[in-house]
Amino acid sequence: MSLRPYLTAFGLQWKIGLRYRIAVVAGLVAQMWFGAVTLMAYASVYHAAPDVQAPLSLRQAMTYTWIQQSLFTLLPLGCLPAIGDAARTGAIVYDLLRPVDMWNWWLSASLARLLGNAVPRAVLLACVAGPLAILVGLGAWSLAGPASLISAALALLSITLGALLSATIVMWWNILTARTLSPLGSYAVGTPLAVLLSGMLLPLPLYPDWVRPFLLAQPFAGITDIPIRIYLGTFIPGGVATGLGLQIFWLTALTLLGRLWMRQTVNRLEVQGA
Amino acid sequence: MTQSPSHTLSGPGLYRRMAGASIVAQLRYPGTFVIQAIGNFVTTLLSFFGIWSLFHRFGSIAGWDIGTVAVLYGLVNVAFAVAETLGRGFEVFGGEYVRTGSFDRLLLRPRSTLLLLLGHELRLRPIGRFLQGLFVLVAGLWLAPHVQWSAVLVLPWAIAGGAAMFLGVLIGQAALCFITVEGLEVVNVLTYGGVEAGQYPLTMFGRWLRRFITFVLPLAAVCYYPTLFSLAHPDPLGMPTWIGALSPAAGFAFLGVMILAWNRAVAGYVSSGS
Repeated sequence: MSLRPYLTAFGLQWKIGLRYRIAVVAGLVAQMWFGAVTLMAYASVYHAAPDVQAPLSLRQAMTYTWIQQSLFTLLPLGCLPAIGDAARTGAIVYDLLRPVDMWNWWLSASLARLLGNAVPRAVLLACVAGPLAILVGLGAWSLAGPASLISAALALLSITLGALLSATIVMWWNILTARTLSPLGSYAVGTPLAVLLSGMLLPLPLYPDWVRPFLLAQPFAGITDIPIRIYLGTFIPGGVATGLGLQIFWLTALTLLGRLWMRQTVNRLEVQGA
Repeated sequence: MTQSPSHTLSGPGLYRRMAGASIVAQLRYPGTFVIQAIGNFVTTLLSFFGIWSLFHRFGSIAGWDIGTVAVLYGLVNVAFAVAETLGRGFEVFGGEYVRTGSFDRLLLRPRSTLLLLLGHELRLRPIGRFLQGLFVLVAGLWLAPHVQWSAVLVLPWAIAGGAAMFLGVLIGQAALCFITVEGLEVVNVLTYGGVEAGQYPLTMFGRWLRRFITFVLPLAAVCYYPTLFSLAHPDPLGMPTWIGALSPAAGFAFLGVMILAWNRAVAGYVSSGS
């Protein structure tokens, strides 16, 4: 089995992501706005209740928010746009004809799309929210460094797993799109789930205590929440191993079940168009 | 229906007809509509769950009770949902009219371009956000202390002002497309970002942001002050409470300015060709 076709699929989508430079700048402005609004809100909530022992300190909540904002495009918000188009026009049959493993083919394209979008944005926002914010005297609002060198290395490993997990969830949206012949459903379902369950809306550790175990155990936590917790060195029940273990578990489970679902979908796929 | 050639529709009559056609078209795919509306409802409801979780953990939102915050949250979401319903044509204006050159066709019609673009689509999907906002608003009025009877008049007035303001943003965004051709996503900072900022009390923000959402975008005038007035809540920043009964007019003033800008932009329009 040759890896080349998958690398090509990856390379193509990666380049598409890098193509839109103005979109990157526009995204940066939007992320800074949302980051600023959220940070000010957290700061005044924390300052108004100085006696409350929260699972994240204010500084950690700010760093969490910045990282979360910078990784927004890494979230599985919906299907791969190219697959949405292909499902609508019927061009999806070409993908079926290719002598490649379709899961890996779509997965490498989905992963490249996520990374091509997220990496430039994340690097840019990290520079602005980190060193630049400190330089202009906004150090108290900036992105803090990792808890230690080891947690930085583990967080890097964890975010790699997170990206793979996100691409695997995108695969589920892709299959949904192929089934329903429209990308709209995947966005309607995917965006709210991803935004809430990844911790984008509110850091997962800050939710009421009774839902926190469930929030940690669900697959979306593995995309950004677990890597950020490892980076911050905050408490995960059972330590870093639980975090990485959950990520690997979901990656395996969603891949196996997803491949099964895909086989079933492909066998009874109805194609639109002539 | 046949009509004599001499018979022409009045502006409102034409709008009714266009809106009716748009509604029929959207209900042609009832499944898609229901999924999108539910997605919209769930997304926005979950975002209130985030605020509620902060309240739950810290005992207050920076000293504000949950009822007041719920009223603010409901108000801004209902207002934005109304603007989203009406203003879809402006939202997609860059991509669908300027870039393709089909704006030329609108200019040939003997009706105001604003009216024709309002008639582009009467979007039903925001009904999810609308219902959810209304639900949170009513819950907030039930929870908040000192609700005034005048709220029955002031809150609808504030919603109208808020909807006018957001519609103004959408028109301004469309006017910018004459320069940029494609839509600028940065403007989302004023729409979605405005909703995000409007749902927190003004006192939670730093001075630059307070000034921005008071004097540049009159967000405080359509959300914060009418809420204080309706709940007889003194303003910690020292503005008299009665201001809230008048301030929603600022939303209409903002809309007026944006319409002037639109007319100027249309006067200078050069087609991008077909």
